[in-house]
Formats: sequence, C-alpha cells, structure tokens
Amino acid sequence: MFPKLDPILHSELRLAVMSILAGVEDADFTYIKKQTGATSGNLSVQIDKLSAAGYITVEKGFKGKMPRTTCRMTPAGREAFSTYVTALQEYLSAGK
Amino acid sequence: MTASESLALIAETMNNSRRAILSHNAKHFVLWGALLTVLSLLIYFLWHGTGSANWNLLWFAMPVIGYCLAALIDRKKEVQPKNEISRLLGLSWAVFGLFSVTLSAIAVFAVPMNITLIIVIMLGLAETISGVILKNWPIAISGIIMGIGGAVAAVLLKSEAQLLLFTLGGLLLVITGIIVKLQYR
Repeated sequence: MFPKLDPILHSELRLAVMSILAGVEDADFTYIKKQTGATSGNLSVQIDKLSAAGYITVEKGFKGKMPRTTCRMTPAGREAFSTYVTALQEYLSAGK
Repeated sequence: MTASESLALIAETMNNSRRAILSHNAKHFVLWGALLTVLSLLIYFLWHGTGSANWNLLWFAMPVIGYCLAALIDRKKEVQPKNEISRLLGLSWAVFGLFSVTLSAIAVFAVPMNITLIIVIMLGLAETISGVILKNWPIAISGIIMGIGGAVAAVLLKSEAQLLLFTLGGLLLVITGIIVKLQYR
C-alpha cells in the first residue's frame, strides 16, 4: 500500500516554494518569485495555501521604504516536506 | 506530476537556489579582497614615500568602508536568503574581522606585537575554512599556503614590505570570489 501524497505539496509551484524554503532560513517574496518564475498573483495564492496549511509562516514588513514579505518553513512544513519526499522515493523504488 | 518529475523539480529548485545564494556570496569575497589590495598598496606607498608608519592607522577605516560598500551591494529590491553554507562563511569571516580589528587596536594602542604575522595566519585560516565549507580544495590549499607561507614571510620581511603580504591576501580573496562565482553561476 502506497502512502497518499500530500495534496498541498503535490502542486508544481507549491512544491517549488517548499523546496526553496527547505534550504534557507527564510526567503523574500521577490526571491521566491525570481527562482520559481511565477507571477506575483499566482505565487501569492499558493503561498496563502501553504500558510493556511501551517507549512510556512508569512511575515510582512519593510526594508527601508519598500514593503517586504518574508516566508519561512515551519516545523510542521518541514515534517510534511520530508514525508512527501520519502513517499515519492517509495513510489519510485516500487516501480523499479 | 509523476513521482520522478516531482523529485526532479525538488532537486532542480534546491540546486538553483543554492547556486544563486553562493553566487551572491562571491561578490563579498571580491569586495573585501579588492578593498584589502587597494588599502594595503595605498598604505605601502604612503609609508614608503613619507617614512611614517602612522599611515597604518588607515587600516581602521577598512571595516567602515567595507561594510558601507557591502550594504550598497545588498541594497537591492530582492533580499538574498541565507543557507547553511553562506551563514558559516559569513560567521567565519566575521570572527576573522573581529579578531583582526581588536588585536590591531591592542597592538597600536597598548601592547606592540607583530600584528602582520597574526593577521596573515588568521587570514590563511579563514580562507582555508572557506575552502573546506565550499568543498573547494584549490581555495583551501591556497589558504594553507597563505597562512603558513605568510607567517614565515611576516617574520622575515621588515616594516612596509610586510604590507605586500596583505596585497597578496587581497588578491587571493578576489580570486576566491571569481572561483566561487564561476563554480555556482
């Protein structure tokens, strides 16, 4: 029996956002946007979904006079991401 | 997405992000290296020309100029995140800076010592640690050569000629920055 893949993470853009946040302390919205190549609107929606799931925290502030949105992965997000990757590896190893 | 596509996406995104962060770090190596090279040459020629060692006080301007220029580099709309490697690199060089400035102040104002010897050894150590963190052996080995060779040279060379060791150290940092940039572009 294969483990069920987390539907929150099983989306291309949300998975890319989580992959970026898994390797850093936190990341700026503009950095994530540049790395993923997503539009601001779509990225905002996906970030909201990850935040609502408790996988990331979103902090709004300022850098000088510029508004700044900082995203950070939560321990629950790290756990979900790790479980998701393990599940993917199990799918792949079963297919060999 | 299939399982293999998902894993490929994760690997590619993480790798691209890591490259972007380390490529940005390269700018700081080049900045501090160029500053060290220019300042050491400036002090060398001023000392050589006037015969006064007091020009060495200009070293205390280096952290101020360096941090102002670093802030200019980082003053972009997009804030670069930190990963474990960039954090360790930053900490290593911050510790080097703290020890260098503090010991230089003690050497100038309280207890005279061969400060070139001490700083060259620490420069070599910080460079070697950077090479190990980056898993880049040419950087690590050049750090070892800089630290050990520089220590011997700092004892053998006298007065303003010692400053040329910092010129070499500065050039080494610039080269390190270029190597990191090429490695992670």
